[in-house]
Amino acid sequence: MSSATTNAIRVHKRPKVGLLFIAPFAVLFLFVLVIPICYSAYISLFQNKLIGGNAFVGLDNYIKLFNDPQFYDGAIRVVVFTAIQVPIMLLSAIALALAIDSLRLHGTKFFRVVVFLPYAIPAIVSTLMWGFMLGIRYGLIGSLNEAAGTSFDPFAPETTMISIGVMVTWGFTGYNMLIFYAALRAVPRELYEAAAIDGANEFHIVRYIKLPALRGSLVVTIIFSIIGTFQLFNEPNILATLVSNSGITSYYTPNLYAYNLAFTGSQQGYAAALAIVMALFTIAIAYVVQIKGMKNVLNK
Amino acid sequence: MKKRVLAAAAATVATLVALTGCTGSSDAPSGAGVPTDKPITLKVWSWDGTVKEAVPGFEKLYPNITVDVINAGSSTDEYTALDNAIQAGSGVPDIAMFEYFSLPLFAIPGKLTDLSEFGAEDIASDYVDAAWGNVTIDGKPYALPSDYGPAALFYNQAVLTEAGVTAPPATWDEFYEAAKKVRALGGDRYITNDSADIFLLLSLIWEGGGRPFKVDGSNVTIDFTDEGTTRAVEFWQKMLDEDLVNTKVTGWSDDWNRGLNEGTIATQIIGSWFTSTLPERAPDAAGDFRIAPLPQWEAGETSGSENGGSAMAIPADAKNKEAAYAFLEYFTHGDGLQSRIDAGAFVPNLSNLDDEQFLGTTNEFFGDQKYNEVLAEASKNVATGWQYPPFFGWARTSYEDVSAPLYNSGKGTLADVLETWKQRSIEYGNEQGFTVK
Repeated sequence: MSSATTNAIRVHKRPKVGLLFIAPFAVLFLFVLVIPICYSAYISLFQNKLIGGNAFVGLDNYIKLFNDPQFYDGAIRVVVFTAIQVPIMLLSAIALALAIDSLRLHGTKFFRVVVFLPYAIPAIVSTLMWGFMLGIRYGLIGSLNEAAGTSFDPFAPETTMISIGVMVTWGFTGYNMLIFYAALRAVPRELYEAAAIDGANEFHIVRYIKLPALRGSLVVTIIFSIIGTFQLFNEPNILATLVSNSGITSYYTPNLYAYNLAFTGSQQGYAAALAIVMALFTIAIAYVVQIKGMKNVLNK
Repeated sequence: MKKRVLAAAAATVATLVALTGCTGSSDAPSGAGVPTDKPITLKVWSWDGTVKEAVPGFEKLYPNITVDVINAGSSTDEYTALDNAIQAGSGVPDIAMFEYFSLPLFAIPGKLTDLSEFGAEDIASDYVDAAWGNVTIDGKPYALPSDYGPAALFYNQAVLTEAGVTAPPATWDEFYEAAKKVRALGGDRYITNDSADIFLLLSLIWEGGGRPFKVDGSNVTIDFTDEGTTRAVEFWQKMLDEDLVNTKVTGWSDDWNRGLNEGTIATQIIGSWFTSTLPERAPDAAGDFRIAPLPQWEAGETSGSENGGSAMAIPADAKNKEAAYAFLEYFTHGDGLQSRIDAGAFVPNLSNLDDEQFLGTTNEFFGDQKYNEVLAEASKNVATGWQYPPFFGWARTSYEDVSAPLYNSGKGTLADVLETWKQRSIEYGNEQGFTVK
């Protein structure tokens, strides 16, 4: 009887204890994610005029956004950027991870840390650094141009985005490499021995064992990278003050546009609408990648 | 752009911290109606570091008042914070700092106190007319001028001499000829740089009598086709077309500092506050720089314009308005002013601009030139009647966007850029509840 009572109590109590355990997460999640998103969605329905104050405007901000060429200019720029930069970065990361994992290199530990190190440098610092390095007047490129008699400008309107791509790739390749490397390390070493006994060479091992093992982490890194590049902000924001004629406008990327709308145009409602649309767009893309990627993983 | 403001603020924080010569006069406090019986704490938002110099003297005068000077950010950061405080109805400071161009943004929607109720007009005669014009909106004073930026020509005498220019250009035609001579020195040498700097262009327009913005309450008219504007725009277009201006160097950047330091940028058309920041930007050019009046559109004219400057106002929701005005008057006009001047503030008060000691100031960096004589004259010469549209803070960001193709790759003309800018401003202004044409 006493044991039945204890059971009853236990059954009764368990959910509450569980709540207690998730409470720290739930509170943070609620206050730093759910509430701000709901609030953004709420203010995106208002327009705060300099004269006339705050008024409910329904979906006007969204309608305006979808007719705003400046929004499309920025959105298309980051989509193109993502489509080019992410594959380059992830392929480099995979190549580096395979190289380290091949056990044929000396000093892999040092190499691993060095490749990862740029990730630890704040974007602001690295942008300043790259800005000085790629600057045409006094930087590395300036000296190279002088020596070679050329006039290549990494921060011309046509090339700025490529330079930003170099910065981002430099910063995040190491991080992605580490994820891939961890996945490779999880492959049992016996598989390689078995493959070798079956007559597989190094190329076969990479093709049939290592690359399939990376599929899961590839999905994760693609999603992270897409989210990251869609939010491109620090690099263009800092470069705009560092170099002239770089082609960086106040709407160069959607995030930069939202920031400028809110803080120099005091159009918080419109900025919120932009942020919501970009968030939904990012979620949709990430979701597609996940569904497609995971299906492949499961099929294997 | 924000850097310009920071530099302007740094300018006032100053090079020399001299001892305050005179002790506060023993006159009775001027502010009538200031409560002296209860303790009051005044909150002052200012990124001008000299304001706190006036606090000890004021607190001695009013033992019951404590003044708390807070740097709530510069420029846009402060305006955003202030707007948030006003909307929230709490935390509104008793005095806040504004660049002249941002005053209408707060004054027109009724967010500032009309200072005529404290008799502010009585001290108007102490300020140069244009500075008083900056704080007068719809005929009422909404702030007191606290620092000033008359535009002047800072020139590297050594470079101009090398180019064969023996005297600083007195007219824009001479400036153009000098520009060609500097360019003829070869390499990367230019008379000046410009990367879509709207304040530079506006200072030329302003000086020449152009008045592209007209503001009457919430009605704003924008027109870049009047005579003064057209003349300035066409002149600058010529400078750009003939590659006489370095458009590759953006103000406040590292490249800019180096250009000034090495002498590849020979002059700057810029506000008086540049005196305090130039020496640290161009240490190797010490002794080479001098300051001249702004070149004129016609020989013999003495017109001028502003590039920067700020004022202090009392928000409409401030708690202690009488006490706030007493302090405001004290540090912008009264006995507290000298302590700020000693700390490096450049103010548009005639009492200071005519002061022998001020006019006699020299600095080795400027070859011991009595440069304040030039700047005082420039202050008095600033042409009146200029108005900024209330949404100028937004508009200057927008200008950088619309002028980018011209400065990047020479597409279009300055006149086209201004027309596009006007259209964007009309759209934005009307959306924000103004009537813009």
